[in-house]
Amino acid sequence: MKKGKLLGSALMMGALALTLAACGQSSNNAQQAPFKDWKISTPAKPAKKGGSVKVAVETDTPFTGIFNDELSSSGVDTEVSQYGSESLFSTDDHYKINNSGAATLKIDRAAKTITINIKPNVKWSDGQPVTAKDYEYAYEIIGNKATNSQRYSTSLEDLVGFKEYHEGKASTISGLEMPDGESGRKVVLHMQQMKPGMKISGNGYFWETAAPYHYLKDVPFSKLISSDKVRKHPLYFGAYRVTKVVRGQSVTWKPNKYYYKGKPKLSKITCSVISPNSVAQSIKSGKFDVAEVITSQWPNISGAKGVRYISTKTLGYTYLGFKVGKWKNGQNVMNNNSKMNNRALRQAIAYGMNVNQVAKRYSYGLTFRVPTLIPDQFGAYHDSKIKGYSYNIKKANKILDKAGYKKKGTYRVQPNGKPLTIHFMAMSGSSTQEPIIQNYIQQWKKMGLHVVLTGGRLTEFNSFYDKLQNDAKGVDMFQGVWGLSSEPSVNDLYGRGAQFNYSRYATKKNDELIAAMDSQKSFSTKYRVKKFHEWQEYMNKEAYVVPVSNHYTVMAVNNKLTGYSLRPSKSMNNGWPNWYYVGYAK
Amino acid sequence: MWKTVLRRFLIMIPQLIILSMLVFLLAKMMPGDPFTGMINPNSDAKEIARLRQVYGLNDHWWVQYCRWVGNMFHGDLGQSYIQHVPVASLIWDRAVNTFWLSLLTVLLTYAIAIPMGITAGRHQDEWQDQAIQVFNYITFAVPGFVFYILGIWLFSFTLGWFPISGSVSASASGFWGVLGSRLYHMILPAILYALITTTTIVQYLRTGIVDNKVEDYVRTARSKGVPENVVFNKHILRNSVLPIVAFLGNTITGLLSGSMIIESVFSYPGMGKLFLDSISQRDYTTLTALILLFGILTLLGNLISDILLSIVDPRIRVK
Repeated sequence: MKKGKLLGSALMMGALALTLAACGQSSNNAQQAPFKDWKISTPAKPAKKGGSVKVAVETDTPFTGIFNDELSSSGVDTEVSQYGSESLFSTDDHYKINNSGAATLKIDRAAKTITINIKPNVKWSDGQPVTAKDYEYAYEIIGNKATNSQRYSTSLEDLVGFKEYHEGKASTISGLEMPDGESGRKVVLHMQQMKPGMKISGNGYFWETAAPYHYLKDVPFSKLISSDKVRKHPLYFGAYRVTKVVRGQSVTWKPNKYYYKGKPKLSKITCSVISPNSVAQSIKSGKFDVAEVITSQWPNISGAKGVRYISTKTLGYTYLGFKVGKWKNGQNVMNNNSKMNNRALRQAIAYGMNVNQVAKRYSYGLTFRVPTLIPDQFGAYHDSKIKGYSYNIKKANKILDKAGYKKKGTYRVQPNGKPLTIHFMAMSGSSTQEPIIQNYIQQWKKMGLHVVLTGGRLTEFNSFYDKLQNDAKGVDMFQGVWGLSSEPSVNDLYGRGAQFNYSRYATKKNDELIAAMDSQKSFSTKYRVKKFHEWQEYMNKEAYVVPVSNHYTVMAVNNKLTGYSLRPSKSMNNGWPNWYYVGYAK
Repeated sequence: MWKTVLRRFLIMIPQLIILSMLVFLLAKMMPGDPFTGMINPNSDAKEIARLRQVYGLNDHWWVQYCRWVGNMFHGDLGQSYIQHVPVASLIWDRAVNTFWLSLLTVLLTYAIAIPMGITAGRHQDEWQDQAIQVFNYITFAVPGFVFYILGIWLFSFTLGWFPISGSVSASASGFWGVLGSRLYHMILPAILYALITTTTIVQYLRTGIVDNKVEDYVRTARSKGVPENVVFNKHILRNSVLPIVAFLGNTITGLLSGSMIIESVFSYPGMGKLFLDSISQRDYTTLTALILLFGILTLLGNLISDILLSIVDPRIRVK
């Protein structure tokens, strides 16, 4: 209840900020951006039976089409399977697992077990019941080396015996118990360690979907990923079932009459690929009933008729990272002599970014500044007291002067008198990326900082991550993007042993705080929240990583549709809406 | 003649070996690998490192090259890193799409270009010729992608006559339904592509006709009282199509390699698009197989051109 309110107020604030942003724009933009009317769901209306819906899949490359959560690794695949692929668990709006989904969850800290009970009416789209074995089979697909699934992770090794199974030392997973047998509906997971994040979906310690064992058992693990049963005729237990796949281009879905919540309303859903360049025109000409708005195309979408905009904040952020170390022997090792290992310099650079101005100018208010590394979608875990680094060149100059970065001519020099050139790496992307980055560089120049782009220009996606992962020379700071898991723990992104911690910072205090967040004591939400706030404060002060901005996910939805919602509690728990609720209004 | 063809085939072998090595090396020199982009909250860095090892991506390039060639001789082009299906099946899927699109394009190109070239040549410097020249200048000067995007905007979005992307509609069913839908998806890209590729053929044909018109043998034919139509069709036209025949070999290559630009603009899943995607996604297995295929096609296309030319023009004999 409290959390729900928090989310509401956060959205209101977002809406307010957006309205203000809209007022500041030129008149033609102002009329295009009625942000204040935007909701997270379509208005609730009685729906009629039947009707078909066309959904745009916006991608430059044909989708892979691996219709199995244990094997797929692309976001677009998750997107095209959103109509049928449902998680076993439902959540509230802050991703806390509740019992309203296909299965219930019971966590026993003392016994170190997680008990999963699949509800009796949950059936695959061929009418077969979803059983305990289906859940075990999902683990087998991930764990068996022959499948080469990319979903295996160290966190999943928390299940007793899963590592042994993965390494081929055991033929079954010893910690996965099925008290009522394979065809039962109860699974007990015996865990090595209980983690406070387990209550929240997306925690990664246990798997949250099932795979149809009765259907796939004849396919050898090594052939699973390319088999027709996964690529052309998959089974799901969600609201809709696949009826036709045109490889890489489109998927057609029809109602799953065995769906445990009841028969879905629409008679057909077709999702098909469209080039991102054509999105604005498609929305305007009504080619699709649901399409995602691409921020940089917003001005061209204005005036689209028959469309309602549904929006929510994306779970993620763009951030500025400073390289202060290297990845050595499986952990991050800081280099105290590194150029960027100076807090004052990092803070000053952060103060120099005019994020709000840039957001207004280049993304029409659809992006916004993020003050802390735990965004407000995480409810209480987000520390609203932290204001982050809002644009303030005066303050930045003061900090630099105090820290000994004296001006010699146009530019400042390092405290040791050596010249200072900062190599900044940013990824190439949308058409507005270049002016945004140049804008930042201009601001830093005003402060006397000589910032140049790594390689003299924006870096292509593959090179970008190649350079980051290998701690390449010529990168002092970089602008990266993180999509976040719904469990707020930061260990995988910012821990000492986290390879994704591309800044390569690792301090004792950081270790302590991260450990505390995932400690046994943190089973008390109050304590965990406190530690999250302390960590955010620490990170804000040290500025090894500075959150920059985030954007709204905006869906252009046919205004005759009802029941379309981006609320986590109304989703299939994969970031996309549960289409069971969607229908045409009467 | 057959000796020549055989010799040309034998020369192709070292050419292909060098090409494949170059391609492989260049592909490996690109920053990143198929797993570079796999960074999301669900992926584990250690697991990705393990998979790199499994797929042998950490080996030296020559080790990987030898493995690749070895597999190829066993008829195995490998598995696509991104699409997770055998490369051969992936390429076959796309090649079919590209083949039909290209065939339609080629037919349309010749259907448009030959009458235009003949008209322009026959009515040299008259208004017909000038109109065709203006058209030629426009299609030659406008970059392909601008032309295609304008075409989509006008015919697909504004008028709503044609689909905007893909090769077949999701709702098409039955043999005729699918065939019709495929054709419907191909028409706009094929027409646009054909319009823009006519330039060269029109120019060749026009120049040929203009040049041949004043040749001695034409004058002789006319002075003998041969009817004008026969003079034109038998003496002038036949000699003027020679350069176009030479062109045909390359056109056949194009039939399978596809056009990257038009396929990208129309999100048409063909070979050109597959090639671009495999570069950006570092899908080495697909990329190398494709380049090798394109290489073979180009060499074959040249060979066919030469053979065709020698058939059409007895003066040319391959030695």
